[in-house]
Amino acid sequence: MEAIVKLRAVSKDYGQGAVVVHALRGVDLEIPRGSFAALAGPSGSGKSTLLNILGGLDRPSSGTIQVDGQEVTRLGRAELARLRLRKIGFVFQAYNLLPVLTAYENAEYVLLMQGVPAAERRRRVLELLGQVGLEGLERRFPRELSGGQQQRVAIARAIAAEPALVLADEPTANVDSATGEALLDLMARLNQERGVTFLFSTHDRAVMRRARRLIRLKDGAVAYDGPAEAVDEADGVR
Amino acid sequence: MILLLKLAWRSLWRNRRRTLISAASIGLALTISVFFIALADGMYSMMIDQAVRMQAGHLTLEHAEYRDAPSVDLVVDGVRALRERLAELPGVEATKPLVVAQGVAKSGRDSIGVAILGVEPASERRSSPLVAKLTAGAYLEDLEERAVVVGEDLAERLGVGVGKKLVLTSNDVSGQLVEELVRVKGLFATRVEEIDGYLVQVPIGFARRLTGMGPDQATQLGLVLSPPGLEDEVAAEVRGWLSGSRAAVRSWQEVLPDLAAYIRADGGTNYVINGLILFLVMFTIFNTVMMSAMERQREFAVLLALGTPTGRIQSQLLAESAMLALLGCALGLGLGGGLAYWSQVEGIDIRRFFDEGVTVSGVMVDFELRARLTWGLLAGLGAAVLAATLLVTLLPMGRVKRIPVADVLR
Repeated sequence: MEAIVKLRAVSKDYGQGAVVVHALRGVDLEIPRGSFAALAGPSGSGKSTLLNILGGLDRPSSGTIQVDGQEVTRLGRAELARLRLRKIGFVFQAYNLLPVLTAYENAEYVLLMQGVPAAERRRRVLELLGQVGLEGLERRFPRELSGGQQQRVAIARAIAAEPALVLADEPTANVDSATGEALLDLMARLNQERGVTFLFSTHDRAVMRRARRLIRLKDGAVAYDGPAEAVDEADGVR
Repeated sequence: MILLLKLAWRSLWRNRRRTLISAASIGLALTISVFFIALADGMYSMMIDQAVRMQAGHLTLEHAEYRDAPSVDLVVDGVRALRERLAELPGVEATKPLVVAQGVAKSGRDSIGVAILGVEPASERRSSPLVAKLTAGAYLEDLEERAVVVGEDLAERLGVGVGKKLVLTSNDVSGQLVEELVRVKGLFATRVEEIDGYLVQVPIGFARRLTGMGPDQATQLGLVLSPPGLEDEVAAEVRGWLSGSRAAVRSWQEVLPDLAAYIRADGGTNYVINGLILFLVMFTIFNTVMMSAMERQREFAVLLALGTPTGRIQSQLLAESAMLALLGCALGLGLGGGLAYWSQVEGIDIRRFFDEGVTVSGVMVDFELRARLTWGLLAGLGAAVLAATLLVTLLPMGRVKRIPVADVLR
């Protein structure tokens, strides 16, 4: 299948002089369209850095990145913003909903930015909020929603604009395990039904098992890249 | 656009107390500025109006050399024809010919240097506030001879009252010393020392005879305008008529330089003080917007991550500032404008604070102060606050560009 993400020899260094942290070391990676992949690894292994670079929120020190055929490293600030708006959806660990907007308005935000007509926006947002189980809660502000409900809104916001790629940074880290399971069910269903490509980082072994592909990073390099079912095997756990 | 305004409005009210305090600060500063500027403007207008009506009008026609070396022989000719022509100009409320001479008033008790002012009593009755300041006797009549009205101070120093005689000595246009016996018809008290102790008003016919001027001559021909704002237009028109003649058109600022200088200086000080107040308020706004922007770095980072153009977030901050400024303006212009309007209609009686009259630069200030509120003042101050608010938002706006999105969201 065609790769939606292509990374070639991507490195990212922080700091200068004697104190340089190599967050990523020559990462080569391809993510095919329609993937449901987990990015795993201990803290400091480079998961968030990789997601940020893929999403154009950070720039690599070297290497090339293509997202949906577009060379990300060559894009300017405004073009990167356009790429994120049109092609990438984000789900953050801390939900990061806009506190002054209701659930409906949060989910609608990116569509508004894209200039989608009002009727179409309404149709899509209501359908999505229904799909993520938030029917009837559209008018609630984030402070009036539970953590799990907020993350559902964040997922709805991420996929409302039908992006080519959804990057989720530890999407289940701040919710209880049952809610985490439900969120993973939701993402898996959206992946299956809508063909949205998901790449999410996680610490949680249970979450890793739900992915179809597992990419494990260690010290900024890919240590394992294969089926998620073999996660224990990959870790040497039986 | 609607989303941007919605985000701005709701964000503004996230910290309700801070927003209210900031809006109240702007409102209070504007209230003070509007009220005091309007009050000062009202006072200046009143002073100008009193001075020009009592003296030589908003515009004065006089001999071109008179201003540099006032002399009784420097006259304006053809006064009658000029008055007829001037009366047809729009905005000319009245014309008043004046004969001005220096002289000495002598009584049995003393001799005092005076200014002899020949006026048309009928015109003065219509336009000059001096007539209303009469405290004893009666005012002059047009065709009266040998009658004068003098200030209470001068009468006291000369030891004369209503009905008593004086001798006026002056020079005529040929430089000869002339002397006339006159009778005090009335006393006035403007509470301006320079007027009450120095001015002698006589009917213009008598003044012409005293100084040897012809019936169609005057030292000055004053134009009282209503509204006064037409000064420049009228002056330009009249200058056109007078080109080639020996007469010149003077503004009241040239004729009353002390008053003009006072208003300039006092008005300037007023504006500086009000400017400083508003400047301090700008810091409050800057603090509010800056704090708000700093606290919301994460939110802005999220917006940037979602693909929101930087300019849009900056516009949102600008809209928040504009809304805050508009709130403050509504409060300040409403309250300040209301107070100023009240004092314009009702007047503020300052009698209880001053036993004697208050004079500024030789002009009496009325006991009843009235503000002069104009739409221009409200619009100007509102626009200044709005512009300054938007200006102080530039720095927080600039910071949006430098938000390290990945670091903030980490």
